[in-house]
Amino acid sequence: MEMKDRKVQMMEEQLQKKLTRQVVASLVGCVHCGMCNDSCHYVMTHPDDPKMTPSYKADQLRKIFKRNHDWTGSVFPWWVKAGKGLTDDDLDGLKDIAFGTCTNCRRCTYNCPMGVDTATLNRIMRGLLSHVGVMPEGVKVVSKDQWEIGNQMGVLKEDYIDTLEWMSEELAEELGHNRAAIPIDKKGAKIVYVINPREVKYDPRTIKKAALIFFAAGEDWTMVSEGWDQTNFGLFSGDDQLGGTCGKRVYDAMEEIGAERLVISECGHGYRSTRCEAVNWSGEEIKFTMESSVMTMLRYIKEGQIKVDKTKNAERFTFHDSCNNARSCGFYEEPRELIDLVTTDFEELEHNRQEGLCCTGGGGAMSMTEYTPRRLRSGEVKANEIAATGAESIITSCHNCVDGLGDVLKHYKMDVKVTQLVDLVAEALVLDEAQKAPDPVVAEVAAPAEVPAVPPVVAKMDEEKEMPADALRGRRILVVDDEEDVRLFLTTVLEDAGATVFIATDGNEAIEVAQREKPDLITLDLSMPGKDGIEAFTELRKTAGLEETPVCVVTGHPEFRKLIYDRPVTPPEGYMDKPVDEGKLVSNIRRILDLREKRQ
Amino acid sequence: MPEHEPSSLLFATEVIHWIALGVMVIVYTMRLRWLFSFKAGKDRSAPGQPDKISAKDGGVYSLGNVAMPWAMESTRGGRGFVFWVSFVLFHLGVVAGIGLAFVSTIFPGVLQIPAVAWVVGSTMFCAFLVAVYRFFRRLLRPVMRLISSPDDYFSLLMLICWFALGVVTQAHIAGVERFASESWLIAYLLLTSFFLIYVPFSKISHYLYYPFSRWWIGKALGHRGSYPYSRA
Repeated sequence: MEMKDRKVQMMEEQLQKKLTRQVVASLVGCVHCGMCNDSCHYVMTHPDDPKMTPSYKADQLRKIFKRNHDWTGSVFPWWVKAGKGLTDDDLDGLKDIAFGTCTNCRRCTYNCPMGVDTATLNRIMRGLLSHVGVMPEGVKVVSKDQWEIGNQMGVLKEDYIDTLEWMSEELAEELGHNRAAIPIDKKGAKIVYVINPREVKYDPRTIKKAALIFFAAGEDWTMVSEGWDQTNFGLFSGDDQLGGTCGKRVYDAMEEIGAERLVISECGHGYRSTRCEAVNWSGEEIKFTMESSVMTMLRYIKEGQIKVDKTKNAERFTFHDSCNNARSCGFYEEPRELIDLVTTDFEELEHNRQEGLCCTGGGGAMSMTEYTPRRLRSGEVKANEIAATGAESIITSCHNCVDGLGDVLKHYKMDVKVTQLVDLVAEALVLDEAQKAPDPVVAEVAAPAEVPAVPPVVAKMDEEKEMPADALRGRRILVVDDEEDVRLFLTTVLEDAGATVFIATDGNEAIEVAQREKPDLITLDLSMPGKDGIEAFTELRKTAGLEETPVCVVTGHPEFRKLIYDRPVTPPEGYMDKPVDEGKLVSNIRRILDLREKRQ
Repeated sequence: MPEHEPSSLLFATEVIHWIALGVMVIVYTMRLRWLFSFKAGKDRSAPGQPDKISAKDGGVYSLGNVAMPWAMESTRGGRGFVFWVSFVLFHLGVVAGIGLAFVSTIFPGVLQIPAVAWVVGSTMFCAFLVAVYRFFRRLLRPVMRLISSPDDYFSLLMLICWFALGVVTQAHIAGVERFASESWLIAYLLLTSFFLIYVPFSKISHYLYYPFSRWWIGKALGHRGSYPYSRA
C-alpha cells in the first residue's frame, strides 16, 4: 500500500476511536439546511466564499464517516456526496479547512436546529490530521514545545522562576516590604495559581498583579515550579493525548502541593482545557476544586477579603466573551459582576455571552501565521461592534483573545486598549494600612528605644539599589540606541554606577563594538534604522564569543516583545520599557549580571 | 369519494403501504441499534453552574428548542423567523401527509369532514410551496449548492411531488368532482410506500436522530452551565 494511502488509513482507524454516540449523532444529524451559515464570523466576512459555511467544513469529516460507517454512504457514496475516498494530496486541503477557516468557537453549534456540534467535528478532523503529522507548522512547533519542555512557549524553568522572582522584587519595591513575594512550591498552601506562559514571556506584570491581589486577600497560595502551564495545545490540535498529558502535569502539581483549589489565570482555552476537558482526556480522578481567577477575585470582593475603588477605572469599557469560557464552560455572568464592581462605565457588545463573536485568535489561530490575512478579515465584524460601543478599552478574560483582539484593533486602526480583569482589579485595589506597613526591623539592628523610626524596607531596598553608587563598578556595558538623548541618559546612569560604557547607534555597529570590546552586558533598543535591534539580537546570539553575552532590551515598543521572543535563539536576559527609571535600570542590570555569575 | 370501497388495485396498494411501514420500522430499529452500538461519551468534569443549570435542564431545553424561535439567533427576528415559520409549515405538511396516508386506509370518513379536509389540504399546500422554495433555494444559492448532495435534491423533489399529490388526494377523498378518480389515492399511497422505504436510507431519517442529538448536546452544554443561557 502506498504511503499516502497509509496516512488516510491511519486517519480512518483513528476516527473509529473517536466515535461516540454524541459524535455519530452530529455526523448523521446534519440536514444541510444552511442555518449555521450566518452564525460564522468567517461567513459574515467572506460572503463571496461559500466554503466558509460551517456545514461544508464539517462535511469533510462527514465524508470519511459516510464512506466507512454509514450504510448509504458506503454503498452509494456519490448519492450522499461522500466523495471518492481521500488521498494524501487531499490532506493539505483538509488542513487548510480545519485549521485555517474555523476557530472552533462553537457559535454554529448553538445555531443548529438539529443540535449538531460542528466545532467538535472540526476538532476531531484536526485530531485526525495531527495524528498523521499534517498540521500547520506553528501548531507543530507549539505542540512539540508543550510535549518536550512542558509549556507551549518553550519557557525554560529557570526563566520562569527568574520572572517570578523579578515580579516579587518589583512588588517589594512598590510596596516597601517583602510580604507579597510570590511563594513557589509552598507545600500545604490552599491555592495553587497556574498561568499562561504568555504571561511569563510577554506580560509578566499580570503575575505581579495577581500576586498583589492574593496578598491583599491574605490568601495562602503558591505557584509551582512544575506543572504551572494551564494552557493546552491539545485542545487546538485535536490531540487528546497531549491534552491529557498537559492536564495531568497541572493535576500532579496540585497533588504535590496538597492544595484544595486550583486557580487558573485568565485564559479561555486554558480554563476550558484544565477545568473541563483534560479531566476526560487524562482520565484522572480530581479531588480538588478548579476555578478561574475571575471567580476568585469576585469572591474576594464579595466576601470582603479585598476592597476596591471602582472610580480608579473610570474610562468606558466593553467586554469580550472568550468562546471557551462562555459557550463551552458557562462562564457568562461572573466577569460581568466583577466588571460592575471595578469599573464605572460599561457598554455591552451587540453580540455577547452565548452569542459573542470570536476574537479571531481562538483555536490556536495565533500560531498559524499562514492564515493571518483571512483571520484579520474575519475580525471585521468584531471591530465594528467594538467601535459601536464607543469604548476606550475592551476587557477579556483570555490571553488568546488579548492577542487576537489586539491584532484586529491594530489592523482596523482602532484606538482601543485590550485589558484583562486582573489589571482592573489590581488598579482598583485599596490596600489597608496593615498591608501597606513596612516590615518590622530585624531584631539585631537595634533596641527599639534607640531607633526613632523603624527603617522601612523600602529604604533598605533603595539602599541596596542605590547601595551601589558603584553597583556596576568594573562592568563593561554596551549601550545600543539610535536616539542621542536616550544614549546620553543611559550612559550617564551607568557610568554614575561605576560601569565603563561603550556606545553603538544601530545594529551593525552594535555587533562590531561588541566583537571588539567584549562587554559584560548589552542594553539594546529594538527600533533602529538599518539593522534593527531584533536582527542584531539574533545575530549576536549566533556570533561566536558573543552568544552568551547578556542582553537587556530597552524599548519604547512593548509590542516588539513578542517578535524578539519568537526568535529561534535564547531569549534576552532582561526587558525594560521606556521611559526607564534610573534606579530600576541599575538594579536590573546588576541583577542580570549577578544571575549570570551565579550560573557560571 | 363518499364511501371507502377499495378496488382490488387499491386494496393491493394499501397492503403494500402497510408492508412499507413495516420495513421502515425494521430499518429504523436497526438504525437505532447501530447508533447505540457506539460508546456513550461521558463528561467527568464537575458541573459548570450547579446552582443554576443542570445537564437535565440543558437536555430538556434543547428538546424544546424546536418550538422556541427566540432560542437561537438563526431563527430570531426578520429572515430567521420567516425561515422558522416555513420550517414549521413544512413539517406540519409532512405530519398531515403521513396522517392522510394512514387515515385514508383506516378511517377515510374523517378526511371527508370539511374542516379536516381543509386543514389537511391547505397545510399540505403550504408545505408544497415551502418545499418548492426550498428546492430553488438549494439549487440557486451557492452555499446551499455546495453543501447539497443528490440525496438532498431528490428528497426535496420527492416531497414536492408527495405534497402536491397529497393535496389532490385530499380533494379526491373530500369528493371534489374533478379529482374523482381512485388513481389519485393509489398513486399517493404508492408514493408514500416508496417514501417509507426510502426515508430510512436518506437524509430524511434525520427526525429519527433529532431527539437524541438535541438531548445529548443540551445535556453536554447544560452540564457545563452554558445552556440554556441564563442571566444571573
